[in-house]
Amino acid sequence: MRRRLAWLGAEAMAFLAALWAAPRAGSLWGWLFPEVSRPAYTQDSWFALLASHLALSVGAAGIAVLIGLPAGLAATRPGGRRLMPVVDAAFSLAQAVPPVAAIALSLPLLGFGAAPTLLALVLYAVLPVLRATVAGLESVPGDALDAARGLGLSPWQRLRRVELPLAWPVLLSGWRVALTVSVATTAVGAVAGARCLGTPIIIGLSNANPAYVLQGALFTAWLALLLDRGMGLLSRPER
Amino acid sequence: MIRFEGAGRRYGEVRAVRDVSFEVPRGSLCVLLGESGSGKSTLMRMVNRLVEPDAGRVLLEGRDVAGLDPQALRRGIGYVIQSVGLFPHWDVARNVATVPRLLGWDEGRVAARVEELLALVGLDPATFGGRRPATLSGGQAQRVGLARALAADPPVLLMDEPFSALDPATRRGLQAELRRIHRETGKTILLVTHDVEEALALADRIAVMEAGSLAAEGPALAVLGRDAPPAVQRMLRPEALAFQRLGVLPAAAFAEAGPVPGAPGLPGDATLRDALLLMLAEGTDRVSLEGAAPRHLTVAGVLAAPWAETREAGA
Repeated sequence: MRRRLAWLGAEAMAFLAALWAAPRAGSLWGWLFPEVSRPAYTQDSWFALLASHLALSVGAAGIAVLIGLPAGLAATRPGGRRLMPVVDAAFSLAQAVPPVAAIALSLPLLGFGAAPTLLALVLYAVLPVLRATVAGLESVPGDALDAARGLGLSPWQRLRRVELPLAWPVLLSGWRVALTVSVATTAVGAVAGARCLGTPIIIGLSNANPAYVLQGALFTAWLALLLDRGMGLLSRPER
Repeated sequence: MIRFEGAGRRYGEVRAVRDVSFEVPRGSLCVLLGESGSGKSTLMRMVNRLVEPDAGRVLLEGRDVAGLDPQALRRGIGYVIQSVGLFPHWDVARNVATVPRLLGWDEGRVAARVEELLALVGLDPATFGGRRPATLSGGQAQRVGLARALAADPPVLLMDEPFSALDPATRRGLQAELRRIHRETGKTILLVTHDVEEALALADRIAVMEAGSLAAEGPALAVLGRDAPPAVQRMLRPEALAFQRLGVLPAAAFAEAGPVPGAPGLPGDATLRDALLLMLAEGTDRVSLEGAAPRHLTVAGVLAAPWAETREAGA
């Protein structure tokens, strides 16, 4: 555990070092793309882009958890089981809308910037949270639940002390998917003017500058992988 | 102690339990005997309100359980199930401590109680306290289940097929442990089983369920009488009834005075069935009964016993 944590820390440091070096590595980008006149992206600070990218994607994943977890809990309670197909269908529909279309559709309402991006990300990320919540809670052994009831745990105590701890690894795997998906998808928000690691991609595309595109794509993918590994470290059963 | 008054429960068209009335006296070990689907588990689960009766009522110490808070009621009743249902994410000690913690006991008292109970069910607290349920054998897990049910010292214990998933040797061992624990603690126990042998090995009283109704109820010997209702006869096999009665008759009650030199010895608390089995095993027609005064049993005495006793006790 400690070794894996140290590795992850080292990778995060390498990522930050690469962000720092990117605008200073004009000769590297120029060697890769000799036809581009200004190959290093210097319009924004990469750290500022990283910060707003993280705020958007972590915020979206957090909101997806805040919606998907209670929905999943409600759908697995005795009174809520009939809701399950409806909730699942609604969330599936939400995910079926491509994020770029969701952004385009919400632009007239929400305007340019972070808001339509956040909406699109939440719509996209909430289904894995819901599905993992339901799958995790349904994986809890029935005999343990029967015993918990028979021993006198209240519904809240059964949830808090038995169901959630046993469902925890599955819950977390859903959150992990939600976070990874939204980190990777946040880049799309650049089309709506949200500042993020996708911004160099959009600017590069509109200015025929493949060096910008490569830099934006590289750091977006790298960040998604880093966070995915970080979430993986958390997914051990809670005591 | 536990009293069923016309208790019934329907599931759609199926009447799982219909109009059952009887009482489990304080301190007795009552076995609810019946085949699968006879309604015995449903009836038992009415006591701690895991099932609500839709007819009649269930009284615990004279109070209708329907009027009690379900959580408080359940914390005051031990509950053991066939699949044990230990919490896999907690170690053995924490599992046993479940109800005392719910009741808000302080940590010192909980720890002392956990040690006491693991010792009571024959598990060394130092060895087993820190182990996870996944590392236990079936018999060990059910011992922990029993300790967990007894943790807050409830006066009543409900046991739903507690030993049915265990291999025969482990099952016999745990039956003996349960008898000992029942003797030592004086709990009122209601135990559900489909196993006639187990019923005979454990019961003071037997209640036989058939198709949702109570077919017979009473002291084990009376239920196993010659005039037992057809449902009971069918379950117990009529030709084996006399042999099964031996299993609930204490050998000491049929012993004759006087020593028999060289005869194999039988423990003082053995049943007549044990006596007969020992005679068969040793190829002898008499065994001596261990105890203060020299006593012995003869094969003729054992053969005469099954129905002789009815005249004395059944009158």
